[in-house]
Amino acid sequence: MGSRAEFSPQTLSVLAALCGQPSAWQHGYALARQTGLKSGTLYPILIRLADRGLVEACWEEEPVPGRPRRHLYRLTPDGLASAATALAEAELAKAEPTTTQVRPGARPRRGRGVAAPVVP
Amino acid sequence: MSWLGPVAEATRRGAMRLVPPVRRDWAEAVWAEAHEVPAGWPRLAWRAGGAVLIAKEGQMGRRIGILLLFAAAAGAAAWGAWPGSPVSHGAAVQSGIIITLALLAGLPLLTRWVLGPPDSRAARWLRAGFYAAILVVLPAQAAIGLFNGAVPRAGIARHIWDVVQSGGVPGVPGSSSGGPDWGGEIAILIFTACYVAVVLALTARRTPVAPATLAIGAAAGLMTGAVMYAVAPVGLNFRYPDRPWHGWAASLCIALAWILVFCAPLAAGVLAGRRCHVPDDPGEASVARAWQGFGAGLVSGGVGALFLTVSGTGTTALLVRSAWVRDWLYHGHYLTASALYGRELYASQDVQGYFLLLFAFPILGLIMGLFGAGTTNVTGPVPDGSGPPGPPGGGGPEPVPVPPDGGRQADAGELSAVGSG
Repeated sequence: MGSRAEFSPQTLSVLAALCGQPSAWQHGYALARQTGLKSGTLYPILIRLADRGLVEACWEEEPVPGRPRRHLYRLTPDGLASAATALAEAELAKAEPTTTQVRPGARPRRGRGVAAPVVP
Repeated sequence: MSWLGPVAEATRRGAMRLVPPVRRDWAEAVWAEAHEVPAGWPRLAWRAGGAVLIAKEGQMGRRIGILLLFAAAAGAAAWGAWPGSPVSHGAAVQSGIIITLALLAGLPLLTRWVLGPPDSRAARWLRAGFYAAILVVLPAQAAIGLFNGAVPRAGIARHIWDVVQSGGVPGVPGSSSGGPDWGGEIAILIFTACYVAVVLALTARRTPVAPATLAIGAAAGLMTGAVMYAVAPVGLNFRYPDRPWHGWAASLCIALAWILVFCAPLAAGVLAGRRCHVPDDPGEASVARAWQGFGAGLVSGGVGALFLTVSGTGTTALLVRSAWVRDWLYHGHYLTASALYGRELYASQDVQGYFLLLFAFPILGLIMGLFGAGTTNVTGPVPDGSGPPGPPGGGGPEPVPVPPDGGRQADAGELSAVGSG
């Protein structure tokens, strides 16, 4: 669990945002601002991560006047370990030069060269 | 525009109810968070994302698909069963069709509220099968009723009609006989309502009957129904010497049918009782097994009777309408028109017997199923589940579904969704 192939780039961005403050509870809009994801993308990712036990969620205990209570998220210990591994692998893969053998004279392929990631 | 806020809030609450209880917090979270998003387009876009989440998590595509499928099937059944101008008792038939379809649409909502939605593939398939069966019987029964009641104008056909109808039914030649049979229609409606309610209750989430029990009962019922169909109306109409089945084949078929009528629900009860995962307490274990026997027997009898009714009624409806079925069943091409008419009339009258089977089979089934499950209390696995080892990674005893806490309240919100059966 936690290898890069298991997480989409969007999921990795969410994990990175949650890893930034591992012990703090974060709310959806803050995560959306950090990751640049829209609510329709962010929340399904959070749901799947919570289903896998990588993220825990709770409601704010004390209501704040003027706004509804927020749903808060943070990584579980398992989630923290998985996220750290996945993010390290992602960094490693980014830093490494491509290992694909290219024939001399071969025309480079256009379009999506990376295998489609798997959304958890 | 002061009404806009309450309307939007009511719409939001309604939409939230479409989401399964375990996912509702997430949908609420998107809405709660919208207050942080700057007003205007960003907030609208945020809420649009929430609506997409609700649609996905609420399985809206599947629900709408089921709703459209049911609407199409119900429309087709009503179109096929709707009485034409020659029928003088049209009002009774029309009311029967409308109320039957209303029952099919409304009862799932009621059972969903009281007992929860179906939560297994076996339960959903069983519901779908029962619904399909009722929607097929509706036009088939109407076609047979029309043929059965149509008074021949004169001649030998009129004489046969008088004989088959016992001569006591008044009728104007060329039109339908008798007046509206309100009593019969009401009885059929009550019967249909009971059948649908029992099936919906047995397949709901908060029923003690396990999904495997439903599957076992349905399999036993289908087997019984298929053999009974081979006995009648297909092969063994003892009025006629030219029936398709003769000799040892007919005897085997009849013997198998009798064996299955009694032994299929018994075997289903035994199997369901053995597969059931029971608590340690012997008293509770007996009750759990009894529930599985009850469910397996009832489903076995009900499915068997309904399969036989659908296939038998459908065959008879085709018989009175298409020549190839008449030729296949009664060698119609060798018969005179009057002899063929007599056979069709008898066959259409025999259809009424299926209602007796629809009543008797489930009762017989539940008695035999309970008896079968009762035998597992003596010979079945000990309560700790130490029966024969199952395959690794599953396939062991089927756990009896445990109602979730506060389930009724949790499911009350799902009332708006039409049942997936």
